[in-house]
Amino acid sequence: MPARVPRVTKTEAVVLKRRRFGDSDRIVTLLTPARGKLEAIAKGALRPRSKLAGHLEPMTHVEVMLAHGRTLGIVTQAQTIEPFAALRDDLERLSAGLYLLELADRFTVEEAEADAAYVLLLTALLRLLRGDGHQLVVRSFELALLEAAGFRPEWHRCAACRSEVTPDGLVWSPLAGGLLCERCREAHPESEPIDVSVVKVLRLIQDAPYEEAARVRLNQRVAAGMEGVMHDLVRAMAERDLGSARFLATVRHTRPADEPASLDGDVTYTSQEPLGASGQTGS
Amino acid sequence: MNESPHGSSTITRLVESFHRLPGIGPKSAQRLAYHVLRAPEEEARALAEALLDVKQRAVLCGACQQISDTDPCAVCDDTRRDRTVICVVEEPLDLVAIERTNGYHGLYHVLHGAISPADGVGPEDLKISELLVRLRRDEDDEADAVTEVIVATNPNLEGEATAMYLARLLEPLGVRVTRLARGLPAGADLEYVDNVTLERALAFRQSVE
Repeated sequence: MPARVPRVTKTEAVVLKRRRFGDSDRIVTLLTPARGKLEAIAKGALRPRSKLAGHLEPMTHVEVMLAHGRTLGIVTQAQTIEPFAALRDDLERLSAGLYLLELADRFTVEEAEADAAYVLLLTALLRLLRGDGHQLVVRSFELALLEAAGFRPEWHRCAACRSEVTPDGLVWSPLAGGLLCERCREAHPESEPIDVSVVKVLRLIQDAPYEEAARVRLNQRVAAGMEGVMHDLVRAMAERDLGSARFLATVRHTRPADEPASLDGDVTYTSQEPLGASGQTGS
Repeated sequence: MNESPHGSSTITRLVESFHRLPGIGPKSAQRLAYHVLRAPEEEARALAEALLDVKQRAVLCGACQQISDTDPCAVCDDTRRDRTVICVVEEPLDLVAIERTNGYHGLYHVLHGAISPADGVGPEDLKISELLVRLRRDEDDEADAVTEVIVATNPNLEGEATAMYLARLLEPLGVRVTRLARGLPAGADLEYVDNVTLERALAFRQSVE
């Protein structure tokens, strides 16, 4: 006899987005640890006295009770675990958080296991909340999420033929998903030069523990280079532009001049890797 | 054989037109179409004329961007209103809601949306540059210089993002930027209120008079 599916299930979730449904309801998209991404109706969530609405804002870590509807689940109860309120009061952190949510939405599919994506998203949001630098949190999330989705970028060897790459005149391609050797770059007319310091920091963030990467000090040039590379890569893998990436850039351009860029840590990273001879990363 | 499911291509066309409206399903569309069919001709004509009028006569007010029959709109044209305060709202209906309170006598600015990057709505898609032009123009006119901009966007993620972005653009212009108070709605039940709302209601508590 098949096991009975419970009529109501309780789960934790991060609210990714929501949209209007009729005059008084909303459909929320939740990223859950056990059931992956799913949509559910929050009935009456558009009414001013709704008991659900405040708990189901995007970028909220929440515990929900889900009843199984005919097509969509129905949120019967919701209780905020972490509202990430401080992120909502800071334009830089808010725009970074919106980007994390859109990435998580793009690289997960509905009703498919997304344990890793859930943990990565929640961890990244908590790191933003405790005040870690946006660059590191976002880059680290991008690299880990791409890997979890099966698109691990290649920053060590040629992404096309797996051969060694030389540190002089490095090029990469977003479509190939990483660096390219001299032979393969001809087959990729879209390939572009990439700064060796950018490659070294991306390798470090991808391979080393987060705390170690957090000790790296970046200058504006390397930070901007990494962001450009990762946005191109994400756009190629998602096969579309991400609106929140554009907003992130707009917000940075409007930042008051006296506010420092969000850089991470205060120790210069000394590379032990064969690529590049200078040793110091981006300082 | 007649291919129209309603036995009449005109009814089918009307049903399909209603069905395209937001929130109208196939059954509601049929009910509306048959209601129009059975209604007196004057009622149908009034509906048709109202639909055409709204497309032909409604314009955006050049100042506040509200939808209006005239440019400038009645609010912007009213000399009794306080021209030193502008209340920024997301949608035309938000303006209507604030007007209904009879508690605000300044001017408005309608953004026609809120920043929602995941839905492809960025600052450039809103009427923000029009607001900046308006404030800079008013700077030259001492008597009408705007001293305060009340950001009345919705207290949700998109509304907060829009409010913070606006504040960043407006503060260098020397204008006081304020935000609508956030707290408990009338008739709320504390037990069910989310943490953010409750925290802010506590932070912005007031003396009992």
